[in-house]
Amino acid sequence: MTLQRYRNEIILLVAFLFALFAFFYKISANSYVEENKANIQEQISEISKIKNYQGMWGGKNMANKVKSLKTIIDPSKVDSFNKKSKKLNAVYSNLTSMELNQLTNKLINMPVQIINLHIIENAKNKFSMELTCKW
Amino acid sequence: MEPVTLNNSVDIILTPQFYTLIREDLELKFAYQAKQIAPSLFDDYLNNVQEYQYHVNKCDTHWCFIAYNIDEIDTFLNSVGIEKHRVSKIYFAQQIANVLKEPILLNDREVLQTIDETVTLIPKRLMEPDLEYKSLNIEDLKISNGVSMGASLNSFVSLKETILLGSLLFTLGTAFIVEGTRTKSSIASENERLGMLLDENPKYTNSTLRKSVLEKYQPLDKIERNKRQSLKDLSKFLSANSQLKELTINDSKIEATIATANETIKKQVIEHTKAKNFKSIITGLNVKVEKKI
Repeated sequence: MTLQRYRNEIILLVAFLFALFAFFYKISANSYVEENKANIQEQISEISKIKNYQGMWGGKNMANKVKSLKTIIDPSKVDSFNKKSKKLNAVYSNLTSMELNQLTNKLINMPVQIINLHIIENAKNKFSMELTCKW
Repeated sequence: MEPVTLNNSVDIILTPQFYTLIREDLELKFAYQAKQIAPSLFDDYLNNVQEYQYHVNKCDTHWCFIAYNIDEIDTFLNSVGIEKHRVSKIYFAQQIANVLKEPILLNDREVLQTIDETVTLIPKRLMEPDLEYKSLNIEDLKISNGVSMGASLNSFVSLKETILLGSLLFTLGTAFIVEGTRTKSSIASENERLGMLLDENPKYTNSTLRKSVLEKYQPLDKIERNKRQSLKDLSKFLSANSQLKELTINDSKIEATIATANETIKKQVIEHTKAKNFKSIITGLNVKVEKKI
């Protein structure tokens, strides 16, 4: 009977509790998203970066690619070309400026670490070049 | 009426002094339509000071409109000791007009009887002295369509307010839930993308491993890009009148010596090197430029 008597108040109380519960649900959903969104985005960004870096600097198939640093120049101008493990030591001489240009362009477009690059003009329009790189 | 004490809930049949009855022959199909026009029907019969509630039911071929004042009824119930919350339903004597064709004795002074299809309260002195009164057997009454005492009086909050506030709170709650669900689902696609990336690279679930791989590649990427950019910048300083003499690149710096043809070209080279943040040292017509990686 008491329940019947306070029926309206009970209905309002239930509606209020429902609204309150829903409000806390909304707040918790917001904080869940705030906490997790940054974390998820950071993880996605990190993994994507790693994939990009590995694709670029991972050195996959590099052993074959660096061979082009030898083949694009007249063999007589390649004094030495030592490829060991994941490292290359190469010495060139008597390179014309055009050949030098070609070689450096090839090098900078290749994803290798340039450990040392030394170019010196020995005579008019004749250059020698020492290169050490790894991948 | 004698004061009463109740332990259970009761239904109440109100005698005619508590309501005003109008019987109308209207072409209406539904009770709610009749209820809508009820207030206008009583315009000429009721005072405007009090607030009335209306009850409508079908009386054979007519519509019976009943106007009552719930406060007045409440005051009466209080006066006889009936608590509001003990009242389940209120019925009107008119609703049992068929049963009251024979008069029943209400008390020493009053008699209730249906006259011309209207339940009427009659002073007993107007009745024949030797008339035998019928007793009203409540158990046999088949009566429906009663009025609830009204949340309006039993509760602190009226039914109208309850419906309004309840609907408002319910709508608000629903909006919160929809908003919350929408917010949660907003990161679902990103979560899914992360799941796919982790499925492809399960070892990167470990954040320490990710950090260590990034620590390995990030500086390498930065330094190598720097070397290449510096080399490209340096090549822009060279022309027929400014030629490379020497160039050295290692992990810490890039340095080059450029031989220029004359003072004007030398100045141009120096300006360009400054613009690209190279440090320059001049020896005659030679410009030595360097930059830290």
